[in-house]
This record gives sequence, structure tokens and C-alpha cells, in this order.
Amino acid sequence: MREAMRLAEKRVKAEVRLGNVNFAVETRQLRRDYVSTKRTHLMGKKNTTIIRALDCIDFEIREGELFGLLGPNGAGKTTTVKILCTLLEPTAGHAFVKGYDVVKDAAQVRKMVNMVAGGERMLYYRLTGRENLGYFAELYNVPKKEVTSRVNALLELVGLSDRADDEVEKYSKGMKQRLQVCRGLINDPQVLFLDEPTLGLDVNIAKDLRKFIREKIVGEQGKTVLLTTHYMYEAEELCDRVGFLHKGKLVAVGSPEELKRKAHKGFSVEVLVTRLTDEALEGLRKLRAVKNVLATAYEGEADGEKVDRLIVNVDSDATAPEVLSYLSNVGCRVSSVNIRGPTLEDLFMLYTGE
Amino acid sequence: MFWRVVIAEVRKNIKQFFFSTRTVFWTLMLPLGNGLYLYFLYLPFATRSVNLEMNGSWFNLDLVGFTLIGQLLYTFYTMMLLSGASFEREREQGTLEAVLLSPASRPAVILGGALASAFNYVWFLLGIMVSWVAFVGVKIVVTDFLALFASIALSYLSLVTVGMCFESLFVYSRRGGMYATMLQEPIMFFSGLVFPLQAMPVALLSISYLIPLTFGLMSLRLTLLGGASLLDVAVPLIALIGMAWLFLAVAILLINQAERKAKVNATLTQF
Repeated sequence: MREAMRLAEKRVKAEVRLGNVNFAVETRQLRRDYVSTKRTHLMGKKNTTIIRALDCIDFEIREGELFGLLGPNGAGKTTTVKILCTLLEPTAGHAFVKGYDVVKDAAQVRKMVNMVAGGERMLYYRLTGRENLGYFAELYNVPKKEVTSRVNALLELVGLSDRADDEVEKYSKGMKQRLQVCRGLINDPQVLFLDEPTLGLDVNIAKDLRKFIREKIVGEQGKTVLLTTHYMYEAEELCDRVGFLHKGKLVAVGSPEELKRKAHKGFSVEVLVTRLTDEALEGLRKLRAVKNVLATAYEGEADGEKVDRLIVNVDSDATAPEVLSYLSNVGCRVSSVNIRGPTLEDLFMLYTGE
Repeated sequence: MFWRVVIAEVRKNIKQFFFSTRTVFWTLMLPLGNGLYLYFLYLPFATRSVNLEMNGSWFNLDLVGFTLIGQLLYTFYTMMLLSGASFEREREQGTLEAVLLSPASRPAVILGGALASAFNYVWFLLGIMVSWVAFVGVKIVVTDFLALFASIALSYLSLVTVGMCFESLFVYSRRGGMYATMLQEPIMFFSGLVFPLQAMPVALLSISYLIPLTFGLMSLRLTLLGGASLLDVAVPLIALIGMAWLFLAVAILLINQAERKAKVNATLTQF
């Protein structure tokens, strides 16, 4: 392990020396541990627990790419973003933004990046939207002549012009999030980190924001974006490439299509079923047409009976009837069938084994 | 860039402090009552006076004025401490992260914060002084206005740098508030807030001379109540200049360390 780390560091240094670091974002053997110390009682012995949030992850993001980092809560997504935007130091390994080391060249990195987090933080509630943006424009040394026009253009872009002079405390959640996006764009960053930007937003606002990210930020402005989310459909809709982060490890990286090709060539039969037994499930797995059964998840009750969801991967959609007739033969009642290609969610479960 | 950030920080803090017209009104009205309360608190000592020695000269000061100036400057010190506490609020609302995400100079950010606090509360201090002079007639004896101005300006400057240290402390540790509160009583005691330093045991005097408040009190009391000249208060004024530089250096060192430590220990968002 130590030898691998040493070799990775050596390789990174050599690449930096040769000027080969040309990705917008790059991580090499990036590791982050959180140390938690607790006493059993006031005068008791200290117990130190080390939680490994990131376990030697390597990935690259190309210029102008929208890259999604996916994983459940606690997977290490926010930790990765915070390291990349210099708010957190890695325990080991390296990370580069535009070829600059996020630890050694932090000042340089800060000029080129910005970050938008989900939720309602990172804004001054007693200031107006316009004052918030004006303040951050000063912190980023935006040319004085441009401050007013840039602030106005950003407010216009996210549809907040008519509420720009209201205090942020009077904004709705969606408006605060849109203002956060403006704050994230105030320095015209080359790389933008979006940490669960649609968290807690209602469906329509989240949809608008996704469209804005795809069409304006990446499409028109050509910025490189790292998006973290645990909404798989969001990543599927937006991202050029994704990485699956699971318990601090990066288990797969690629475009959604590429991952689907690699993981599974067939189709998924999604079945809502009642009276499913362990024996029936075992038998299903043994069918020749079945490649694997991805999940069984409790979906509620129907007519007083437990409903389970099965995602069964098969070679072709023609073999789906075989699955259905098997389930029927073993006494299961199928209430719904949906045949489709695998989603990112299916792939995530496949790669992580959950 | 440095002064742009300082000005932006000052404006932000002032706007947040005076967020409504009612705040402005009470900021001007409250100190009048507070000043009267302090005056009557020390009125029982009105017949007494204090003798202070400086550069071989002795000055006879009214005891009530002596303690009131002590309270005034101590209030200012407490306000500087509060400027540090504002960083705790920033940590909670996530704006500290947003500020540290930017390339803005960290010393400029804390200087702006301290200056804004000094501005926000200077009205409070002025109100207290107005109430003393206008309503209860505290006897002011000023012969050298330059000396008075230098005493006020340098006390202000040195306490602003102390404020910067407090701000760094609040970024450095989530227990900043506890440490700052722990310092309050010793600062009151060692600075000679309610008694002349001559009464302090000699062994403890060296601690008093580490506190800028001590020198601020010396020069303000002598120039405002004792009619001292610039030459009379030269020693405390030079000490205040030295302390301002010292605390500025400590604040810059501390804010850089604080940011580094927060990034290593992941405490920027924990509160």
C-alpha cells in the first residue's frame, strides 16, 4: 500500500514536471481520514476513531465536461469537492485543478474555481441578493467596471432580477438556490463544483436548475462542472461521464452508456410481485435466461399482501415471458411489468453490490 | 485588492448590523441609559480622587471619571471580542466557507470585520459619553487636544488589532467564545479598570503591561481628566503603537494557522 502510494506520487510529480497534467481536474490516490476523539467520561481515556472518507481515489475530468460523482450519503462526495476547492486538505495523495496542486497552489486554484452547495447556507440573509453578489464580486476582485453588469446579468440569467433588492431572508428555498448559483458564477470560474445542488428543491425547480446547468453553464459557457448527487436520474440526465463512489472508494468511472455496456448487455425486467418467497427467488436466479437479479425491494402492500420489486437482468426482451411464467408457476402474483434497459441506479447497485 | 476586501467586509458587516431603522434608533438611544446607569453606579465614590504618576508628574483625577473611562474602554474591548464572535455566526451559516473559498486576503477579511465592529459600536460609546457630559456633568479637563486625539486613535487601533486576534481565534477553534469569555475577568483586573495600577502588586504588573487596554486607559484618563500633554503620555502611546504592531502580527499568523488547522481537522463547518 505504502509502495503504491509512493509510486503514484512519483508518477504525478513526473507528469507535472513534463507538463502532462492537462485535465481540468485530476486526483491521484486521494485519501482523506477524519479523526474523531471521544472520552468515555470526563477524566476517562481518549478513544480515537479514524473514519476513512476517501480511500485512494483516482479520476480525471476533461475540459468542458460535466462529470457526476454519485453515491449515497456518506460516500465521500462532499469530501472530494471540498478537497478540490481547497476547503479541506487531503490526508494523502494529490489533487490538481487545471494542473495546479490544490494544497501547494491553493491560492491559484481559488481564482479558478467556485462551489455551490445544496441547502440554504453560504448566503447572508440580511443582505439583499444584489448586495450578496456585490460582496462576493469584491472578494474575487472582479474588475470594478464589470461588477454591476455581471451582477445584473447573473440575476437576469437565473430570473431573480425583480427580487434582487429584497433581503435573502425573504426568498423561497428555490430562489436562495438560484442565488447560490449566481454566487458560484460571480468569478466566472473555469471549474464549477456543484455539491447536491438540487437537494430539497421541488420537482419543477430542480428540473429548471438541471436545464440551466446543462444548457447555460456547460453548453453556452463551456465550463467544466463536477456535480455530486445521490439522485441517479439527475446524473443520467445531465452528465457526460459519472463515477460511482461507495464507502470512500471509486468503484466505476465512465459515461453512462459505457458503464451500461460494460456491466450488462441485456435488458432489465422490473416486476412488482406479491407472495415472493426465498425459494422462488433462488429458483429465479437459476433460470438460464436470467443473468442476475439486481434487487429485491419492499414496495408496500396490495390487498394486505407485501409487494416486492424485482429487477431481473435477462439476455433479451424475448426471454421476459419466461421469467413471468416462472413467477406465476411458483405461486407469485405479478402486478406490474416493465421491460427496459438498465438505469444508472441498477448499475450502481451492481457495482456496489447493494 | 487588499483594501477592496477590507471595504467590502466593513460594508457587509455594517449593513448586517444596521439591518433596520429600529436598530439604528436603539443603537443611538440605549447608550444614554447605559451611561447614566454606570455614572450612578460609581457616584458613591464622588468625593474621592485618584493620584496617578506618569513621567515623574502626579495627576489628580476624579474617581468617578476614572472608573467611567475604565468602563468605556472595557466596553470597547468587549465589542472587539464580539467582532470575533461574528465569525462563529459565519461558521454556522456556512458563509465562512464561502469567504475562505475565495482568493481574498485573510488578514483583509479580519481587519474589515474588526473595523466594522469598531464602527458599529462607536455610536454606543459616543452615546455613553454624551450622557455623562450632558446629563450628569462629568468633569473633563483637556489641555492638549493632540494628546487626546492620539490617545483615542491609538487605543482604537490597538484594540482593533486585538479584535483581529479574537476573530482569528474564533476561526481557529470552535471554543473561541469560551476562551474569550475566560479572559474577560483577568483583563478587567490586570488592566486597572477600577483601581490605579499603583495598587497592583509589583509581581503582577508585568502582566498588566502585556495588555493594550492598560496603556489605553492610562493615556485616556490622563489626557481626558488630568489635562496631560503629549509628552506626559508619550510612554503609553509608544507602548500602544508597539502593541498594535504586535497584535497585528499575531493576528496574521493566527488566521493563517487557523485556516490551515481548520482544513486539516475539517472544522470549518462544524459548530
